[in-house]
Amino acid sequence: MSVPHAPGFLLMRRAGGVWGIPNGAVEGLARDGAGYRVTAGGQALAADEILGVVADLRIYPVAPALRRFWSEEPAGVAVHAGVPLVVVDPRRLPAVLLCEIPRCEIPRCAAGEAGAGEDEP
Amino acid sequence: MGEPLKETRTRREGTHLLVRAGEYTCGLPLAAVRRVVRALTVHPLPGAAGELEGLAEFGGEPLPVLNLARLVNASPGANPSYPVTVVVRVGPADGREMLGLAADAALEVVHVPPDSIVAGEGGFLQGEAPLGGEVVRILNLEALGS
Repeated sequence: MSVPHAPGFLLMRRAGGVWGIPNGAVEGLARDGAGYRVTAGGQALAADEILGVVADLRIYPVAPALRRFWSEEPAGVAVHAGVPLVVVDPRRLPAVLLCEIPRCEIPRCAAGEAGAGEDEP
Repeated sequence: MGEPLKETRTRREGTHLLVRAGEYTCGLPLAAVRRVVRALTVHPLPGAAGELEGLAEFGGEPLPVLNLARLVNASPGANPSYPVTVVVRVGPADGREMLGLAADAALEVVHVPPDSIVAGEGGFLQGEAPLGGEVVRILNLEALGS
């Protein structure tokens, strides 16, 4: 398990959690209704809020006790400004971030129109 | 000389922190308890099993927090007035990790004689012991991290 070596992480909020995506994996970012659409790892992700970019994070490995109760395979976990977050592995994006899943609340994503990376006016 | 030392060690190993988890009282081995703090703010991890409340920040590091009542299959109790997070070390000696256990209340520290524990199903639940007129569930925290 490794984190792609690119400076910085895009931090976003989704489904009550905070997620960090390595900057090098982010291919596009666009407003999408009340939320945002982020393209990373060739897939469209939904974000409720973009929190910003941080230059560095101290990434901790996912503890066995966490893996035992959570089937996702993130790159690790970290803390930024006192808030814990999950650092995703762009090769194994958590299901909750993907636009294609039914619980996505962004209308365009839910309608399957999430394309890759183009910005909106 | 040997006997008093052995007795001291046995007593230390039998010392537990009692916590309330829903309808149950649970005993956590005191040697594994690092800190008891007022319930930490937990950020959920979507898709996680019900036992995993989410991630909290503790001492500048991310801390997974488990719901103790869910872990021991306890029915929820009344709304706790002073919920706590018990920060514990779990797992085998060569791979210890920090974990938070969300509980309804921290009660007291007691000695539970090992021979009073009726063995449980194994794993996380070491067994049950009578204490002060109620049955206390004695937990094996080492099983949580493996």
